[in-house]
Amino acid sequence: MKLGNYEVKLEKRLELTAWEAATISILAIFVALALVSFIFLQAGVNPLTGYKEIFTYAFANPFGLPLTINRSIFLLLCTCAFIIPIRAGLWNIGMAGQLYVGALAAFAVAFAFGAKESHSLDLSPGIVIPLMMVAAALGGAAIGAIAGFLKGRFNTNEIVVTMMLNFITFWLVPFMIKEGGLFMGASGEGEGFKLSSSIYAPLIMGVPFTIFIALGLAVLLYFLFAKTKIGYQIKAYGLSPAAAKYAGISSFKIPLLVFIMGGAIAGLAGYHYFAAVPGVYKITKNYGDFGDLAFYGIICGLISQGNPLAAIPFALLFGGLTNGGRFVQGKLKLGFGIDYALLGVLMIILVAFQFFYRYKIVWMKTEKEK
Amino acid sequence: MWDFHVRSLDASTILTIAALSELIGQRAGILNVGIEGVMLFGATLGFIAAKITGSYLLGFLVAIAIGGLIGLLHGFFSITLGGDQVVNGMGIWILGFGLTAYIGYPYTGPLGMERIPKIMGLSPFFFVGIALIIITWFVLSKTSLGLRIRSVGENPSVAEVSGINVTRTRYLSVITSGMLMGFAGAIYSLDYNPVWNYNFIMGWGFIALALVFFSMWNPFILLGGSILFGSLWQLSLNPQLVLPGILSRYVWRMVPFAMTIIVLLLMSTKWFRIRWGAAKPEALGQPYVKG
Repeated sequence: MKLGNYEVKLEKRLELTAWEAATISILAIFVALALVSFIFLQAGVNPLTGYKEIFTYAFANPFGLPLTINRSIFLLLCTCAFIIPIRAGLWNIGMAGQLYVGALAAFAVAFAFGAKESHSLDLSPGIVIPLMMVAAALGGAAIGAIAGFLKGRFNTNEIVVTMMLNFITFWLVPFMIKEGGLFMGASGEGEGFKLSSSIYAPLIMGVPFTIFIALGLAVLLYFLFAKTKIGYQIKAYGLSPAAAKYAGISSFKIPLLVFIMGGAIAGLAGYHYFAAVPGVYKITKNYGDFGDLAFYGIICGLISQGNPLAAIPFALLFGGLTNGGRFVQGKLKLGFGIDYALLGVLMIILVAFQFFYRYKIVWMKTEKEK
Repeated sequence: MWDFHVRSLDASTILTIAALSELIGQRAGILNVGIEGVMLFGATLGFIAAKITGSYLLGFLVAIAIGGLIGLLHGFFSITLGGDQVVNGMGIWILGFGLTAYIGYPYTGPLGMERIPKIMGLSPFFFVGIALIIITWFVLSKTSLGLRIRSVGENPSVAEVSGINVTRTRYLSVITSGMLMGFAGAIYSLDYNPVWNYNFIMGWGFIALALVFFSMWNPFILLGGSILFGSLWQLSLNPQLVLPGILSRYVWRMVPFAMTIIVLLLMSTKWFRIRWGAAKPEALGQPYVKG
């Protein structure tokens, strides 16, 4: 194609540097935000004002910032839960189900210690909190393991299986917290029971300690993929399961392992949101919203190209955007669900931009023909 | 009890058409895992169009048109850009899920139009579904167009050499497939259950995807599977009809999803695997690069 004195050509990339990948990702986010600004225009709001409101509330407001951080911790955990299987070429879209079961398992521990009976029960946090977290990780891992086992043993499609598990567990939650379920709250308003205040997760400057778990896991996973044998095996399986098999890598163990690890981390995300975020401390009526929010983990994982360290700033950005989006739709009288619209637009733009991971646009000055 | 069966057939119709649309695309080698997203688009925009104009016909036309457009988009990503079809399909699903949640929200609630008249107690779309099954079977296995579609799904290079335009044939299939997905979504929101609620397709697109794998790409097995799942879905909503008072209603809601996993498991048996391998479009999911 010719534009003036320049020849514009598509050229296949031989390699993609981290710098180029980051540029493409950031460009994709800008394009998506530009498209979503039509929502602001439609409501007669200047998009720049709209985004300014979103970012101010999300990152510079004493009420908004803690909410952003809590969402970002949740998103980072969901992203890690997505990244491990995707490095093996497998799609974990079951973070929602894994986190529901993780939350239920954590509350089962609290229930066993009698936390349902009394809000002021004096429990030993040093024992109960670690147990709740272990239970959450095990619960999530168990749900993940179903998909991993079926994939490894029977080669069933993990996308369909994890999605079906999302729906199964979506109905498991009301079974436990509504209509006389075991974990029903005292008010009987379709919520789970409230944790005893003695086993609220400890806060460090107002932020739940789970932030260190999320960041620590991201660092740990980075080293897992960069330095360890098992990380290498996961990547090899992701490139070609058949070739990996010849290299002695089990095509049963890898899918099982990545889904157990992913599920466990998603389970912790469930613990984080329902048992560690200040002001929540129960399985809420709108638990499904957090299952939906978990899908941002897919976007975050894809945009960071499966790199858990690169996922940290993106988790923070999307935590802020979704939190601020909810705030401005009330303040600027926009339609409900800007965070959902952004989710959809971001995802499709990201998919479109995948093209640039494989091709680059080359500009060449054409020789003047005489 | 009769009502229950009728209602089950209504549900089956939607699954049939949704799964059939996926089958058409897959026969040409294009996998679309975003079927749920296309259905949500068709259902939501069809619902809005019908609500605004008061015309069912316009609602269905809008749904079919948007389905075709999304099919075109999937085709562009998967055929022209040659990207990973699973990634593209995931993109389409999340686009549908996110965007329709926003677009449809102001229209939450019932459609408020006179219901579409029944034919012999059944939804007219039941007959449309049966007709579509027969037409698809006929076109795919008895006509030269069907041969072209199947050959680009089996071995595009050979098809190209024998004078078939692979790109055009795949686009044709993927757009037709999208139109039917949009149509299936609109049957849900305009006829089966005319109430808009966010994400109301509730995984039917994914169940339809599993049904296509299960059917071994045979439209008649697909019909059987859809009727089974339609009945199962209806049973999960009204367990009291068959087994009154046993288990919580929430447990019943899990049953169709659990059954889907069980069906996928059945497919891993040796009997199935041999036949499945033979029936699977050889080039399914693979981008075709000329040259």
